[in-house]
Amino acid sequence: MNNRQKRAAASFLRYAVLALVAVVMIAPIVWIAISSLRPPEEIFLYSPQLSWRTFVPEKIIWSNYEMLLASDFPKAVLNTAFVAFVTVALGILICSAAGFAFAVFDFPFKNALFVVVIITFIMPFESIVVPLYIMVRGLNWNDTYFALIMPEVASGFIIFLFRQFFAKVSRELFEAARVDGASWWRIYWDVALPLSWPTVVAGALMMFIHQWDAFFWPLVAATSQDLTMVQVAIARYLQFEQADFGRLFAAMTVASLLAILPFMALQRYYIRTIIDSGFK
Amino acid sequence: MSKLTALRRFGARLAMGLATATVLSTAPASAETKLDIVWMGWAEEMVKPLMDWFEQENPDIKLNYQRIPYNELLSSLEVRLGARTPEPDIYSADASLTASYAARGHLMDLTPHFKDQLDRFDGAALQAASYQGKMYAGPFATSTQLMYVNVDLFKAAGVELPGTDIKDRWTWEQVLEAAKKIAKPQDNVWGILLEQSDRPYQLLPLMQSKGAKVVSDDGLTATGYVDGDKFVEATQFYGDLFGANKVSPPGLFELNLVQEVFHTGRAAMMVGGTWNLDRLKAGAKFEWIAVPHPYFEGGTPVTSTGSWQIGINPRTKNPEAALKFMDFFMRDDVQVKWFNLRPYPPVLKANWGNLSDKLSGQPWEIARYELQNTAMPRPPIPGFREYEEILKLAFRDIQQGAPAKERLTQAAREIDRELAKYK
Amino acid sequence: MRINPAYYFLAPAVLGLTVFKLIPIGIAVVGSFYGTSLMGESVFRGIENYRSILSDPDLLSSLGITLLFNLIANPLQVVLSLAAALLVFRPGPLIGLFRSVLFVPVTLSLVLTALIWNLLFDPFLGPVNAILEAVGVGRQGFFKDEAQAMGSMVWLATWRGVGYWMLFMLAGLYAIPESLHEAAKIDGASWWQRFRHITLPLMRRPIGFVLVAATAINMLFFAPVYVITAGGPNGATDFIMFRIYQTAFNYIDVGRALAMSTVMLVVVLLVALVELRLLRSED
Repeated sequence: MNNRQKRAAASFLRYAVLALVAVVMIAPIVWIAISSLRPPEEIFLYSPQLSWRTFVPEKIIWSNYEMLLASDFPKAVLNTAFVAFVTVALGILICSAAGFAFAVFDFPFKNALFVVVIITFIMPFESIVVPLYIMVRGLNWNDTYFALIMPEVASGFIIFLFRQFFAKVSRELFEAARVDGASWWRIYWDVALPLSWPTVVAGALMMFIHQWDAFFWPLVAATSQDLTMVQVAIARYLQFEQADFGRLFAAMTVASLLAILPFMALQRYYIRTIIDSGFK
Repeated sequence: MSKLTALRRFGARLAMGLATATVLSTAPASAETKLDIVWMGWAEEMVKPLMDWFEQENPDIKLNYQRIPYNELLSSLEVRLGARTPEPDIYSADASLTASYAARGHLMDLTPHFKDQLDRFDGAALQAASYQGKMYAGPFATSTQLMYVNVDLFKAAGVELPGTDIKDRWTWEQVLEAAKKIAKPQDNVWGILLEQSDRPYQLLPLMQSKGAKVVSDDGLTATGYVDGDKFVEATQFYGDLFGANKVSPPGLFELNLVQEVFHTGRAAMMVGGTWNLDRLKAGAKFEWIAVPHPYFEGGTPVTSTGSWQIGINPRTKNPEAALKFMDFFMRDDVQVKWFNLRPYPPVLKANWGNLSDKLSGQPWEIARYELQNTAMPRPPIPGFREYEEILKLAFRDIQQGAPAKERLTQAAREIDRELAKYK
Repeated sequence: MRINPAYYFLAPAVLGLTVFKLIPIGIAVVGSFYGTSLMGESVFRGIENYRSILSDPDLLSSLGITLLFNLIANPLQVVLSLAAALLVFRPGPLIGLFRSVLFVPVTLSLVLTALIWNLLFDPFLGPVNAILEAVGVGRQGFFKDEAQAMGSMVWLATWRGVGYWMLFMLAGLYAIPESLHEAAKIDGASWWQRFRHITLPLMRRPIGFVLVAATAINMLFFAPVYVITAGGPNGATDFIMFRIYQTAFNYIDVGRALAMSTVMLVVVLLVALVELRLLRSED
């Protein structure tokens, strides 16, 4: 095999594996989406025995989506988008700054403080929810956007992320900038952050997904209908005495399609940011 | 540097977003009373009409209600009630948890308020709303169980159908015999389904039908009861439905999936709540009938009951408004409307008459008979939540092959440990 | 005296973490030495909660199950997410689309992921078993089978985890200068040699992040257990976090639940520190 043939074979293999993985990843959502178009009595009628009807609905109905649009679901989506956007904006700023400090400076108790940062993300949320609720109530934040946003802004995970990734950027680069007379703030803002776009994207998506998935805390801390978050709105279709699978599946499909948008928008920042000369 | 500009723009937008948040969070103060309500997660179209009606009649009271699905309802209430704050003012209290909430000081004593109207309520529902002789919640719905029968599957197998009259009530032994003839596990066709196949709500009547006592009188001991002979015997019968006899699908715990198995025509019988009637009437693809709940040969007929109640947080800052809300929801006409939104059997005696056009004939006659004669509320013990959860896990394991006696002995020990805190 | 500039950068985050995480954690740890009376007053119990949980053999088996899950799921997720990132890292036709498809499972919360797989894998209603039966493999119990439940949980967690952790692996890959690969190519290094000697060493920190973060999340793995198995069948998926949840919210014994949480906090912290130490880069 010459080089060209080799490259073609590698490319074929790459796409074959990707196609296989893609099917596994997407099939469940496709099944949910198809089921959301079926009349209620048909959803589980064909699923247990394989036939072409397992995949093709007998009759397509749109009423689940019409009902979804008419419900408070669109409002819940907007709420969640707002909460997630503010959390990401504030969170990335604050956490990347802290990560920068860990990566660049030396200061007393640095390692101890880092252990504390780790501790903040390994305590189960269920164990701190009662004190947190009492505190948020004490601040008079219960039932406001503040209750949904503020506790999630400082995230140990994201600080840890930036610590790990900033440390890769050579310190020499920063020191060279220092010699040129740049302030630490300038270095962080004009050098470190722009050199870390892929990390910023990954961190932003992590925070976005965290808020998009928020469920138990909003149930407790933001109870008014005006503040309903998307997962709470979805879960309501799974009632106790009988489930409304059609509407549930429709809500899941829409929520999934919407949550992929930030990823598709941000993935163009997945680019090589390290200028070769600046890296040792 | 274009990225820097982008970041600056990002910052400006962030500032705007924060400003919006501030505006939204400081809504103008008003003179009206606001009631913070945690409500069971019924569909919005079943809840909103009643809430709107109340607000219409009480323009000075604003209702801020939150609908929460069952499991999360209980856990988020644990957090909010556990914090012992004045909110929520009002909440949906599961009938089985009256004693638990009351013993921990989470329910307002309503006895003085309702003392002249106690005879308006259905006996079993009132009993479920009471703890140590005091009334702690307003009954809002009750429930009973029927056995639904897929006539087509019976006919295809040539098995005689059960009668729809109370006096024709089948025994579990008859159910098992018919189920064995019809079930074809290899073809995914089943004989008998229990709608809530792991929950004491549905299963305790089996043990009680055998004559088992399910907990000590003081509600503090399970050992000797949960692992008692009759309890074990009934549980063994239950376990064998899934194991030895293969007439029920083991491991299917989600009630709405059990319903799917029945409603797609894959089971001959299902013991389940009256909420199934709506769907069956709306369009079953098979002929069906509803018959009385089975009992054990030589035992007594016992059926599950209890459902939803409305409770007031004793720490509420708005007791007057909360009681107004309570009175409104205990009104005959309000509960008639509620029945039309979601047909739970009525808890107000008068409503059997008010709704006679809808509640006459089968199967509601059966439902009424069961509620008045065979309904047995869950034991009114403060530790029912613990009792129920631990038993549920045991039933799950027994359904999937664990030996009944040993598993129940273990469960009894665990329950005793958790109940110790109520001593 | 000049203040170390580090403090300016740290201050907002430390303030946020202190108020919303550290103080509640502190209260929780203190609470692990208390019980609550029926009427909500705290009663000092000393080490009674710890004695009670540490003498409970079920808790140890539960800890074992949680660790076993982590031993399988964490390395699996690290390897697969790195492999996925390598597959979609270099540009090519439709690569953007494939990248998005790999991310799709992340758009469903863990609760909904559990819900979907419970339906898909259902022995009586699920389409996966329909397919398996049609191709001759036969119906499987999956979550409802004692021997398969743990494996099914690993599958579920990994299905969602691969796309999630891929985000960070990609960020790491894009920080490796192309020039290093070019130079190695000119020297005639094979793909494997370049991966082994350039990519892998430079991916230590991203891999370290993913491993520790995955550990933190998987040690507290909970929602699917709660939604699907409730610890069963016969204890096969009795994860520690399910036990903590049960104790706090269903058995209403907050003190004992907090003692378990505190023990877990120490265990997870130790594991995370060991992982970081093992993956420490020489720079």
